[in-house]
Amino acid sequence: MRRLVWIAMVVCALAVPAALQAQFGHPLKGQWSGEWGPKDKPNRLLLNFEWDGKEITGTINPGPSAAVVKAVVFDYSNPSSWGVKITAEGKDASGQPVLISVDGKLENIGAYMKHLHGTWTQGGQKGDFAVTRN
Amino acid sequence: MNNSVRTALTGAVAGVVFVATVWTSQVSTPLAAQEGGAAAAQGRGRGRQAGPAQPTPRLPDGTVNLGRVPGEKGTWNVPYITNMAMRVVGADGELLPEIVKLQQDQAAARAGGAGRAGGGRGGGRGGSKSEPWIPWMPWSAAVYDYNSINESKYDPEGYCLPPGGPRMMATPYQMEILQLPEHKRIVMIFEGATHVWREIYMDGRTFPSDAELNPTYLGYSIGRWEGDTLVVENKGFNENSWFDYFGHPHTDKMSVVERWTRPNKQTLHYAATVTDPGAYTRPFTVAWDIQLNPASELPEYICQENNRYLNRLEDDFGQPIFGPRPQPGSKPGASPRGTR
Repeated sequence: MRRLVWIAMVVCALAVPAALQAQFGHPLKGQWSGEWGPKDKPNRLLLNFEWDGKEITGTINPGPSAAVVKAVVFDYSNPSSWGVKITAEGKDASGQPVLISVDGKLENIGAYMKHLHGTWTQGGQKGDFAVTRN
Repeated sequence: MNNSVRTALTGAVAGVVFVATVWTSQVSTPLAAQEGGAAAAQGRGRGRQAGPAQPTPRLPDGTVNLGRVPGEKGTWNVPYITNMAMRVVGADGELLPEIVKLQQDQAAARAGGAGRAGGGRGGGRGGSKSEPWIPWMPWSAAVYDYNSINESKYDPEGYCLPPGGPRMMATPYQMEILQLPEHKRIVMIFEGATHVWREIYMDGRTFPSDAELNPTYLGYSIGRWEGDTLVVENKGFNENSWFDYFGHPHTDKMSVVERWTRPNKQTLHYAATVTDPGAYTRPFTVAWDIQLNPASELPEYICQENNRYLNRLEDDFGQPIFGPRPQPGSKPGASPRGTR
Protein backbone atom coordinates (compact mmCIF):
# COMPACT_ATOMS: atom_id res chain seq x y z
CA MET A 1 0.00 0.00 0.00
CA ARG A 2 2.74 2.40 1.00
CA ARG A 3 4.51 1.53 -2.21
CA LEU A 4 1.40 2.46 -4.20
CA VAL A 5 1.28 5.85 -2.48
CA TRP A 6 4.92 6.49 -3.27
CA ILE A 7 4.41 5.55 -6.89
CA ALA A 8 1.43 7.90 -7.10
CA MET A 9 3.45 10.74 -5.56
CA VAL A 10 6.40 10.19 -7.88
CA VAL A 11 4.10 10.13 -10.91
CA CYS A 12 2.53 13.41 -9.82
CA ALA A 13 5.92 14.99 -9.11
CA LEU A 14 7.04 14.10 -12.61
CA ALA A 15 3.76 15.13 -14.20
CA VAL A 16 3.79 18.76 -13.04
CA PRO A 17 7.14 19.76 -14.58
CA ALA A 18 6.27 17.75 -17.70
CA ALA A 19 3.14 19.80 -18.12
CA LEU A 20 5.31 22.91 -18.15
CA GLN A 21 7.60 21.68 -20.89
CA ALA A 22 7.83 24.24 -23.62
CA GLN A 23 7.76 23.40 -27.28
CA PHE A 24 8.45 26.28 -29.61
CA GLY A 25 9.02 24.45 -32.88
CA HIS A 26 6.17 23.91 -35.30
CA PRO A 27 3.05 24.72 -33.26
CA LEU A 28 1.10 21.65 -34.39
CA LYS A 29 3.90 19.21 -33.58
CA GLY A 30 3.38 17.04 -30.55
CA GLN A 31 0.64 15.16 -28.77
CA TRP A 32 -2.85 16.55 -28.27
CA SER A 33 -5.77 15.20 -26.31
CA GLY A 34 -9.45 16.05 -26.02
CA GLU A 35 -12.74 14.86 -27.46
CA TRP A 36 -15.30 15.35 -30.19
CA GLY A 37 -19.02 14.77 -30.55
CA PRO A 38 -21.94 15.30 -28.20
CA LYS A 39 -21.05 16.40 -24.66
CA ASP A 40 -23.10 13.61 -23.09
CA LYS A 41 -21.38 10.97 -25.18
CA PRO A 42 -18.03 12.33 -26.29
CA ASN A 43 -15.44 10.47 -28.30
CA ARG A 44 -11.97 10.62 -26.83
CA LEU A 45 -9.23 11.97 -29.06
CA LEU A 46 -5.47 11.55 -28.96
CA LEU A 47 -3.62 13.18 -31.83
CA ASN A 48 0.07 12.79 -32.63
CA PHE A 49 1.67 15.14 -35.12
CA GLU A 50 5.20 15.27 -36.49
CA TRP A 51 6.85 17.92 -38.66
CA ASP A 52 9.66 16.80 -40.96
CA GLY A 53 10.33 20.17 -42.54
CA LYS A 54 8.11 19.46 -45.52
CA GLU A 55 4.83 18.13 -44.25
CA ILE A 56 2.86 17.28 -41.16
CA THR A 57 2.36 13.58 -40.61
CA GLY A 58 0.43 12.01 -37.80
CA THR A 59 -1.94 9.58 -36.25
CA ILE A 60 -5.36 9.94 -34.68
CA ASN A 61 -5.99 7.68 -31.71
CA PRO A 62 -2.91 5.47 -32.02
CA GLY A 63 -3.64 1.78 -31.68
CA PRO A 64 -5.40 -0.93 -33.66
CA SER A 65 -8.07 1.47 -34.89
CA ALA A 66 -5.74 4.38 -35.56
CA ALA A 67 -6.46 6.82 -38.36
CA VAL A 68 -3.58 8.02 -40.48
CA VAL A 69 -3.30 11.70 -41.30
CA LYS A 70 -3.25 12.16 -45.06
CA ALA A 71 -3.04 15.92 -45.39
CA VAL A 72 -2.86 19.05 -43.28
CA VAL A 73 -3.48 22.49 -44.75
CA PHE A 74 -2.89 25.73 -42.85
CA ASP A 75 -4.33 29.18 -43.24
CA TYR A 76 -1.95 31.70 -41.67
CA SER A 77 -3.91 34.81 -42.59
CA ASN A 78 -4.58 35.45 -38.89
CA PRO A 79 -1.27 34.84 -37.07
CA SER A 80 -3.07 34.48 -33.72
CA SER A 81 -5.64 31.95 -34.93
CA TRP A 82 -4.44 29.64 -37.65
CA GLY A 83 -6.92 27.78 -39.78
CA VAL A 84 -6.14 24.05 -39.85
CA LYS A 85 -7.79 21.49 -42.14
CA ILE A 86 -6.88 17.88 -41.54
CA THR A 87 -7.82 14.92 -43.67
CA ALA A 88 -7.32 11.43 -42.29
CA GLU A 89 -8.32 7.91 -43.11
CA GLY A 90 -9.51 5.53 -40.42
CA LYS A 91 -11.69 2.47 -40.09
CA ASP A 92 -15.17 2.10 -38.75
CA ALA A 93 -16.35 -0.62 -36.35
CA SER A 94 -16.68 -3.09 -39.21
CA GLY A 95 -13.20 -2.36 -40.46
CA GLN A 96 -14.35 -0.39 -43.48
CA PRO A 97 -12.37 2.75 -44.44
CA VAL A 98 -13.84 5.95 -43.12
CA LEU A 99 -12.82 9.47 -44.01
CA ILE A 100 -12.12 11.96 -41.22
CA SER A 101 -12.29 15.64 -42.03
CA VAL A 102 -11.28 18.25 -39.49
CA ASP A 103 -11.82 21.97 -39.85
CA GLY A 104 -10.31 23.79 -36.92
CA LYS A 105 -8.63 26.81 -35.43
CA LEU A 106 -5.24 26.62 -33.73
CA GLU A 107 -5.10 29.19 -30.91
CA ASN A 108 -2.95 30.20 -27.97
CA ILE A 109 -0.11 29.40 -30.34
CA GLY A 110 2.71 30.72 -28.19
CA ALA A 111 1.57 29.38 -24.83
CA TYR A 112 2.19 25.98 -23.32
CA MET A 113 -1.51 25.16 -23.56
CA LYS A 114 -2.18 25.39 -27.25
CA HIS A 115 -5.77 24.80 -28.33
CA LEU A 116 -7.16 23.27 -31.49
CA HIS A 117 -10.93 23.28 -31.88
CA GLY A 118 -13.58 23.29 -34.57
CA THR A 119 -15.70 20.79 -36.45
CA TRP A 120 -14.98 17.07 -36.67
CA THR A 121 -16.57 14.98 -39.40
CA GLN A 122 -16.11 11.24 -39.33
CA GLY A 123 -18.07 9.13 -41.77
CA GLY A 124 -21.67 10.25 -41.45
CA GLN A 125 -21.17 11.91 -38.08
CA LYS A 126 -20.33 15.50 -37.41
CA GLY A 127 -19.69 17.42 -34.21
CA ASP A 128 -17.56 19.92 -32.38
CA PHE A 129 -14.08 18.97 -31.21
CA ALA A 130 -11.52 20.48 -28.91
CA VAL A 131 -8.04 19.26 -28.11
CA THR A 132 -5.24 20.73 -26.01
CA ARG A 133 -1.57 20.10 -26.53
CA ASN A 134 -0.20 17.83 -23.83
CA MET B 1 -14.33 3.63 -2.50
CA ASN B 2 -11.71 1.02 -1.84
CA ASN B 3 -9.39 2.12 0.98
CA SER B 4 -6.25 1.44 -0.99
CA VAL B 5 -7.51 3.46 -3.93
CA ARG B 6 -8.55 6.29 -1.61
CA THR B 7 -5.13 6.30 0.04
CA ALA B 8 -3.42 6.27 -3.33
CA LEU B 9 -5.50 9.20 -4.49
CA THR B 10 -4.77 11.08 -1.28
CA GLY B 11 -1.10 10.47 -1.84
CA ALA B 12 -1.39 11.68 -5.40
CA VAL B 13 -3.11 14.88 -4.33
CA ALA B 14 -0.49 15.41 -1.64
CA GLY B 15 2.17 14.94 -4.28
CA VAL B 16 0.64 17.58 -6.52
CA VAL B 17 0.28 20.02 -3.64
CA PHE B 18 3.87 19.43 -2.57
CA VAL B 19 5.31 19.93 -6.03
CA ALA B 20 3.12 22.95 -6.72
CA THR B 21 4.11 24.51 -3.40
CA VAL B 22 7.80 24.02 -4.04
CA TRP B 23 7.49 25.38 -7.55
CA THR B 24 5.43 28.38 -6.49
CA SER B 25 7.90 29.25 -3.74
CA GLN B 26 10.72 29.09 -6.26
CA VAL B 27 9.13 31.59 -8.61
CA SER B 28 8.02 34.02 -5.94
CA THR B 29 11.11 34.38 -3.79
CA PRO B 30 11.22 38.11 -2.94
CA LEU B 31 14.63 39.07 -4.20
CA ALA B 32 15.58 41.64 -6.77
CA ALA B 33 17.37 39.34 -9.18
CA GLN B 34 14.88 39.73 -11.99
CA GLU B 35 13.87 43.34 -11.90
CA GLY B 36 16.77 45.72 -12.21
CA GLY B 37 19.09 43.12 -10.78
CA ALA B 38 22.42 41.85 -11.88
CA ALA B 39 22.00 42.51 -15.57
CA ALA B 40 21.32 46.18 -15.05
CA ALA B 41 24.12 46.47 -12.56
CA GLN B 42 26.56 44.98 -15.02
CA GLY B 43 25.71 47.35 -17.83
CA ARG B 44 23.66 44.93 -19.92
CA GLY B 45 26.67 43.56 -21.67
CA ARG B 46 27.74 46.70 -23.46
CA GLY B 47 31.39 46.52 -24.39
CA ARG B 48 33.94 48.88 -22.97
CA GLN B 49 36.79 49.24 -25.40
CA ALA B 50 39.94 49.56 -23.35
CA GLY B 51 42.25 51.83 -25.33
CA PRO B 52 44.12 50.97 -28.52
CA ALA B 53 44.01 47.43 -29.80
CA GLN B 54 46.52 45.13 -28.19
CA PRO B 55 47.94 41.95 -29.74
CA THR B 56 45.91 38.77 -29.67
CA PRO B 57 47.00 36.75 -26.65
CA ARG B 58 48.15 33.21 -27.20
CA LEU B 59 48.69 30.08 -25.18
CA PRO B 60 52.26 28.73 -24.75
CA ASP B 61 51.75 26.41 -27.74
CA GLY B 62 50.81 29.36 -29.97
CA THR B 63 47.06 28.68 -30.03
CA VAL B 64 44.92 31.79 -29.80
CA ASN B 65 43.85 32.37 -26.21
CA LEU B 66 40.13 33.14 -26.18
CA GLY B 67 40.10 33.62 -22.45
CA ARG B 68 41.88 35.63 -19.80
CA VAL B 69 45.57 36.36 -19.89
CA PRO B 70 47.12 34.65 -16.85
CA GLY B 71 47.32 37.01 -13.92
CA GLU B 72 44.73 39.40 -15.33
CA LYS B 73 41.01 39.83 -14.94
CA GLY B 74 38.60 40.02 -17.85
CA THR B 75 35.30 38.65 -19.05
CA TRP B 76 33.51 38.97 -22.35
CA ASN B 77 30.61 41.41 -22.36
CA VAL B 78 28.11 39.54 -24.45
CA PRO B 79 25.99 42.13 -26.29
CA TYR B 80 22.22 42.42 -26.15
CA ILE B 81 21.05 41.45 -29.60
CA THR B 82 17.30 41.30 -29.63
CA ASN B 83 16.79 40.65 -33.32
CA MET B 84 19.35 38.49 -35.06
CA ALA B 85 17.78 39.19 -38.41
CA MET B 86 19.52 42.56 -38.20
CA ARG B 87 22.88 40.79 -37.89
CA VAL B 88 22.72 38.63 -40.99
CA VAL B 89 25.93 38.81 -43.00
CA GLY B 90 26.82 37.81 -46.53
CA ALA B 91 29.61 35.59 -47.77
CA ASP B 92 32.02 38.49 -47.26
CA GLY B 93 31.17 38.62 -43.57
CA GLU B 94 29.64 42.07 -43.90
CA LEU B 95 26.08 43.01 -42.98
CA LEU B 96 23.67 42.53 -45.87
CA PRO B 97 23.28 45.77 -47.88
CA GLU B 98 19.53 45.84 -47.29
CA ILE B 99 20.12 45.76 -43.53
CA VAL B 100 22.66 48.57 -43.76
CA LYS B 101 20.17 50.63 -45.76
CA LEU B 102 17.40 49.88 -43.28
CA GLN B 103 19.59 50.97 -40.41
CA GLN B 104 20.50 54.16 -42.24
CA ASP B 105 16.84 54.89 -42.90
CA GLN B 106 15.99 54.27 -39.26
CA ALA B 107 18.83 56.53 -38.12
CA ALA B 108 17.64 59.24 -40.50
CA ALA B 109 14.09 58.88 -39.22
CA ARG B 110 15.28 59.23 -35.64
CA ALA B 111 17.36 62.26 -36.54
CA GLY B 112 14.29 63.74 -38.19
CA GLY B 113 12.33 63.44 -34.97
CA ALA B 114 10.33 60.40 -35.95
CA GLY B 115 11.34 58.57 -32.81
CA ARG B 116 12.31 54.95 -33.00
CA ALA B 117 11.61 53.87 -36.51
CA GLY B 118 9.60 50.71 -36.48
CA GLY B 119 9.43 50.79 -32.71
CA GLY B 120 10.85 48.26 -30.33
CA ARG B 121 14.40 47.44 -29.46
CA GLY B 122 16.98 46.37 -31.96
CA GLY B 123 15.38 47.20 -35.27
CA GLY B 124 11.61 47.40 -35.57
CA ARG B 125 8.79 44.89 -35.11
CA GLY B 126 7.37 44.69 -38.55
CA GLY B 127 7.09 40.92 -38.53
CA SER B 128 8.31 38.58 -41.24
CA LYS B 129 7.58 40.94 -44.11
CA SER B 130 10.03 43.48 -42.69
CA GLU B 131 12.82 40.89 -42.94
CA PRO B 132 12.60 39.56 -46.49
CA TRP B 133 16.21 38.36 -46.39
CA ILE B 134 15.26 35.69 -43.86
CA PRO B 135 14.50 32.43 -45.72
CA TRP B 136 11.14 31.87 -44.05
CA MET B 137 8.91 28.87 -44.32
CA PRO B 138 5.22 29.83 -44.18
CA TRP B 139 4.80 28.52 -40.65
CA SER B 140 7.96 30.13 -39.27
CA ALA B 141 6.91 33.46 -40.79
CA ALA B 142 3.47 33.09 -39.18
CA VAL B 143 4.96 32.24 -35.78
CA TYR B 144 7.30 35.21 -36.03
CA ASP B 145 4.39 37.49 -36.94
CA TYR B 146 2.51 36.16 -33.91
CA ASN B 147 5.50 36.82 -31.63
CA SER B 148 5.81 40.30 -33.13
CA ILE B 149 2.14 41.11 -32.52
CA ASN B 150 2.24 40.07 -28.88
CA GLU B 151 5.66 41.65 -28.33
CA SER B 152 7.39 38.43 -27.38
CA LYS B 153 5.33 37.83 -24.28
CA TYR B 154 5.93 34.09 -24.54
CA ASP B 155 9.70 34.43 -24.80
CA PRO B 156 10.99 31.32 -23.03
CA GLU B 157 14.02 33.21 -21.77
CA GLY B 158 11.53 35.34 -19.84
CA TYR B 159 10.66 32.12 -18.00
CA CYS B 160 14.35 31.81 -17.14
CA LEU B 161 14.75 28.96 -19.57
CA PRO B 162 18.19 28.88 -21.22
CA PRO B 163 18.74 30.45 -24.63
CA GLY B 164 19.30 28.01 -27.46
CA GLY B 165 22.11 28.10 -29.98
CA PRO B 166 23.53 31.49 -30.98
CA ARG B 167 21.23 33.33 -28.58
CA MET B 168 23.66 32.30 -25.88
CA MET B 169 26.03 34.81 -27.44
CA ALA B 170 23.36 37.51 -27.62
CA THR B 171 22.12 37.46 -24.05
CA PRO B 172 23.61 40.47 -22.29
CA TYR B 173 25.66 39.12 -19.46
CA GLN B 174 29.29 38.30 -18.95
CA MET B 175 30.95 35.19 -20.22
CA GLU B 176 34.30 33.57 -19.75
CA ILE B 177 36.08 31.05 -21.95
CA LEU B 178 38.33 28.45 -20.36
CA GLN B 179 40.60 26.61 -22.77
CA LEU B 180 41.69 23.29 -21.38
CA PRO B 181 44.00 21.79 -24.01
CA GLU B 182 45.21 19.14 -21.60
CA HIS B 183 41.61 17.98 -21.31
CA LYS B 184 40.88 18.58 -25.00
CA ARG B 185 37.89 20.70 -24.05
CA ILE B 186 36.82 24.32 -24.07
CA VAL B 187 34.33 25.44 -21.45
CA MET B 188 32.28 28.61 -21.70
CA ILE B 189 30.73 29.90 -18.50
CA PHE B 190 27.86 32.34 -18.66
CA GLU B 191 26.87 34.63 -15.84
CA GLY B 192 23.36 35.14 -17.09
CA ALA B 193 20.94 33.16 -19.16
CA THR B 194 20.24 30.87 -16.22
CA HIS B 195 23.89 30.63 -15.22
CA VAL B 196 24.75 27.89 -17.67
CA TRP B 197 27.93 26.59 -19.25
CA ARG B 198 28.89 25.07 -22.54
CA GLU B 199 31.32 22.29 -23.12
CA ILE B 200 33.03 22.06 -26.50
CA TYR B 201 34.80 18.81 -27.20
CA MET B 202 38.16 19.30 -28.90
CA ASP B 203 39.21 15.64 -28.93
CA GLY B 204 38.35 14.89 -32.53
CA ARG B 205 35.25 12.92 -31.71
CA THR B 206 32.29 12.63 -34.05
CA PHE B 207 28.66 13.31 -33.23
CA PRO B 208 26.64 10.58 -31.55
CA SER B 209 23.97 9.06 -33.75
CA ASP B 210 20.66 10.87 -33.90
CA ALA B 211 19.16 8.14 -31.72
CA GLU B 212 21.83 8.67 -29.07
CA LEU B 213 21.83 12.46 -29.22
CA ASN B 214 19.82 13.82 -26.31
CA PRO B 215 18.27 17.11 -27.47
CA THR B 216 19.30 19.98 -25.22
CA TYR B 217 19.09 23.78 -25.12
CA LEU B 218 22.73 24.31 -26.07
CA GLY B 219 23.15 21.24 -28.22
CA TYR B 220 26.20 19.02 -28.58
CA SER B 221 29.35 20.89 -29.53
CA ILE B 222 32.47 19.63 -31.29
CA GLY B 223 35.27 22.07 -32.01
CA ARG B 224 38.49 22.28 -33.97
CA TRP B 225 41.03 24.94 -34.83
CA GLU B 226 41.33 26.13 -38.41
CA GLY B 227 44.38 28.37 -38.15
CA ASP B 228 43.44 31.07 -35.66
CA THR B 229 39.72 30.38 -35.95
CA LEU B 230 37.88 28.13 -33.53
CA VAL B 231 35.22 26.30 -35.52
CA VAL B 232 32.46 24.67 -33.48
CA GLU B 233 29.81 22.43 -34.97
CA ASN B 234 26.61 22.06 -32.98
CA LYS B 235 23.56 19.88 -33.29
CA GLY B 236 21.13 18.12 -31.00
CA PHE B 237 19.06 21.17 -30.02
CA ASN B 238 15.67 20.82 -28.40
CA GLU B 239 12.71 23.01 -29.36
CA ASN B 240 12.32 24.72 -26.00
CA SER B 241 13.92 27.99 -27.01
CA TRP B 242 13.65 30.85 -29.47
CA PHE B 243 16.44 31.97 -31.72
CA ASP B 244 16.28 35.49 -30.26
CA TYR B 245 14.15 37.85 -28.20
CA PHE B 246 12.16 38.91 -31.24
CA GLY B 247 10.93 35.35 -31.57
CA HIS B 248 12.48 33.75 -34.63
CA PRO B 249 11.57 30.11 -34.14
CA HIS B 250 13.77 27.10 -34.72
CA THR B 251 13.27 23.35 -34.69
CA ASP B 252 15.22 20.37 -33.43
CA LYS B 253 16.56 19.99 -36.96
CA MET B 254 18.75 23.04 -36.42
CA SER B 255 22.49 22.76 -36.71
CA VAL B 256 24.89 25.64 -36.14
CA VAL B 257 28.49 26.17 -37.20
CA GLU B 258 30.18 28.82 -35.08
CA ARG B 259 33.42 30.58 -35.94
CA TRP B 260 35.33 32.39 -33.23
CA THR B 261 38.30 34.66 -33.78
CA ARG B 262 40.11 37.12 -31.53
CA PRO B 263 41.49 39.78 -33.86
CA ASN B 264 42.97 41.66 -30.89
CA LYS B 265 43.03 41.33 -27.15
CA GLN B 266 39.89 43.37 -26.62
CA THR B 267 37.70 41.83 -29.28
CA LEU B 268 36.11 38.48 -29.92
CA HIS B 269 34.42 38.07 -33.28
CA TYR B 270 31.53 35.63 -33.41
CA ALA B 271 29.85 34.23 -36.50
CA ALA B 272 27.21 31.50 -36.60
CA THR B 273 25.80 29.81 -39.67
CA VAL B 274 22.37 28.43 -38.94
CA THR B 275 20.92 25.55 -40.93
CA ASP B 276 17.40 24.58 -39.95
CA PRO B 277 15.50 22.70 -42.65
CA GLY B 278 12.53 22.56 -40.28
CA ALA B 279 12.04 26.32 -40.17
CA TYR B 280 14.09 28.03 -42.90
CA THR B 281 14.55 27.20 -46.54
CA ARG B 282 18.30 27.81 -46.61
CA PRO B 283 21.15 28.53 -44.20
CA PHE B 284 22.04 32.04 -43.10
CA THR B 285 24.88 33.52 -41.09
CA VAL B 286 24.77 36.04 -38.25
CA ALA B 287 27.83 37.77 -36.82
CA TRP B 288 28.90 40.37 -34.27
CA ASP B 289 31.76 41.45 -32.06
CA ILE B 290 32.02 40.87 -28.33
CA GLN B 291 34.12 43.24 -26.26
CA LEU B 292 36.39 42.40 -23.37
CA ASN B 293 35.67 43.91 -19.99
CA PRO B 294 39.25 43.87 -18.66
CA ALA B 295 38.38 44.79 -15.09
CA SER B 296 35.66 42.20 -14.59
CA GLU B 297 35.29 38.80 -13.02
CA LEU B 298 32.18 36.66 -13.32
CA PRO B 299 29.51 37.76 -10.85
CA GLU B 300 26.65 35.58 -9.69
CA TYR B 301 23.29 36.01 -11.29
CA ILE B 302 20.40 33.65 -10.72
CA CYS B 303 17.56 34.11 -13.16
CA GLN B 304 15.24 31.69 -11.47
CA GLU B 305 14.86 33.80 -8.35
CA ASN B 306 11.98 36.21 -8.11
CA ASN B 307 10.84 35.86 -11.69
CA ARG B 308 7.74 38.00 -11.19
CA TYR B 309 7.19 38.11 -14.91
CA LEU B 310 5.79 34.61 -14.76
CA ASN B 311 2.97 35.54 -12.44
CA ARG B 312 1.99 38.46 -14.64
CA LEU B 313 1.92 36.42 -17.81
CA GLU B 314 -1.48 35.72 -19.37
CA ASP B 315 -2.26 33.58 -22.36
CA ASP B 316 -4.23 34.70 -25.41
CA PHE B 317 -7.47 34.21 -23.50
CA GLY B 318 -6.43 36.43 -20.61
CA GLN B 319 -5.84 33.52 -18.26
CA PRO B 320 -2.74 33.45 -16.06
CA ILE B 321 -0.28 30.90 -17.34
CA PHE B 322 1.65 30.41 -14.13
CA GLY B 323 0.16 32.72 -11.53
CA PRO B 324 -3.02 32.35 -9.51
CA ARG B 325 -6.27 32.03 -11.43
CA PRO B 326 -8.88 34.81 -11.06
CA GLN B 327 -11.46 34.17 -8.37
CA PRO B 328 -15.04 33.50 -9.48
CA GLY B 329 -16.87 36.77 -9.89
CA SER B 330 -13.77 38.84 -10.66
CA LYS B 331 -13.64 40.95 -13.81
CA PRO B 332 -13.00 38.93 -16.97
CA GLY B 333 -9.37 39.11 -18.01
CA ALA B 334 -8.37 40.82 -14.78
CA SER B 335 -5.98 38.45 -13.12
CA PRO B 336 -4.98 39.20 -9.54
CA ARG B 337 -1.63 40.51 -10.69
CA GLY B 338 -2.84 41.98 -14.00
CA THR B 339 -0.56 42.02 -17.00
CA ARG B 340 -1.77 44.93 -18.98
